Amino acid sequence: MIENRKHLGLAKIGFLCLVVVIWIIPFAASAQEVAVGQATATVQAVLAVTSVQDLNFGNVLQGVPSSADIDVVAEAADFSVTGSGGAEVALYLQLPEYLWNSTNTDRMQISFSSTDCEIDANIGTAATKVAPVVADPYNLPATALHATNNILHVYLAGTVYPAVDQAVGAYSADIVLTAAYTGN
Amino acid sequence: MNAAKHNPSSLKRIFRRGIFYSFLIALLPAMDILAGVLVAPPVVFMSEKGKAGRITVQNPTNAPKEITISLSFGLPESDSLGNVNIFLNDSTVTDPRSCLEWVKAFPRRLIIPANGSQVVRFVAKPPKNLPDGEYWARVVIEAQEGVAGIPMLEADDRITTKLNMVMRTAIALKYRTGDLVASLEMTGAETRIVDSKVEAMLDFTNKGNCSYVGVLACRLLDANNKEVSTFDLHLAVYRQLRRRIELPIVEGEFQAPYRVEVTVTNRGRKDIPPEEMIYGNDITQTLAVES
Repeated sequence: MIENRKHLGLAKIGFLCLVVVIWIIPFAASAQEVAVGQATATVQAVLAVTSVQDLNFGNVLQGVPSSADIDVVAEAADFSVTGSGGAEVALYLQLPEYLWNSTNTDRMQISFSSTDCEIDANIGTAATKVAPVVADPYNLPATALHATNNILHVYLAGTVYPAVDQAVGAYSADIVLTAAYTGN
Repeated sequence: MNAAKHNPSSLKRIFRRGIFYSFLIALLPAMDILAGVLVAPPVVFMSEKGKAGRITVQNPTNAPKEITISLSFGLPESDSLGNVNIFLNDSTVTDPRSCLEWVKAFPRRLIIPANGSQVVRFVAKPPKNLPDGEYWARVVIEAQEGVAGIPMLEADDRITTKLNMVMRTAIALKYRTGDLVASLEMTGAETRIVDSKVEAMLDFTNKGNCSYVGVLACRLLDANNKEVSTFDLHLAVYRQLRRRIELPIVEGEFQAPYRVEVTVTNRGRKDIPPEEMIYGNDITQTLAVES
């Protein structure tokens, strides 16, 4: 019985140590320099672009222009860019002029104004931006990632113009965001 | 007390279970970081000794991703206001430093399953008698969900819309041959006070035969040599580059006239392996701030 209690105690201590060590691993790995004894390795910071939310106009009516609100989570497009904290990232949006139906027989005009984009180098959503900077979506400025959160968000709104005789159907197009470090 | 509960085999089982759950718990903080397609390393280096390069593309999401790999050409360029951008061009590139024509990627289209990864390789077939220096391209990794982006029609009499979000990451590819020289010159500098900050416009010219990759650090000092504010950023100069730096004049007991101390060095870059760095000259210059 005493032997079993000893085993149980050792197992508990071992388990606690393991939990602590495993919790520390991800934080240690996020640092750029990892030193183990005499060896030092450079962990290179990767750049990742993620689509958090699609640009969404919902159902639209013939002849009635419909706009997505840049402050509404369910409407504004939201791209997040993550990488090395503080690093400057060049951003480029390729925007469509039309949405096409599935048979490519009819198209719907879409437009983006010079204030339809906001960049916020903070964690947040379209509705909870911290320090958004209004930008022309056709000429996005290079922006530094947040120094400690390693992130920036690109929010995009726009307007679709269905024609009076717009054919009923499902229309789609691509929005492309390109991100590149300016410092290498 | 139940003896079976505490026998060594039960303890081992508890211990193994503990390890399993601990790993699950440990993965939670990493979920945010692993939200998109990840590409590593951020720069691909190739040379006449190693004409092959590779990147790893990882899909940490729970949905398959369709990936397209392509090569483009684009350098950090600046306008007269010091705004920097990279404009990618994949056709009619006539730049003599472009390696677009003779570097190929394999594979160029792939679908990475959920939580999977794939190595993409690059092979260089440079022309003969290539002059010494560095040759450039950008690897563009395009990712989108591995399902068709056609919207579902909710009713027969409605018009629905769907914008497919396509994500592209462009990383630098550098092919090096012969003797390489990294040399940078600061060819112009202007400073002025705008509102409550000092704006410095710095012009750089690359005098070497490879890109000058380093760190630009600026310190705003007051008349008594007190540090008012600092700014630093990663710098890559391929040919000419104009950078606008803004240094806030923070509140405090600081006295004009101000000075800006500019330092450029290509030591201290932690995102590039030291064996891939081409070390060159450092620049240190102090600029008086015009009121």
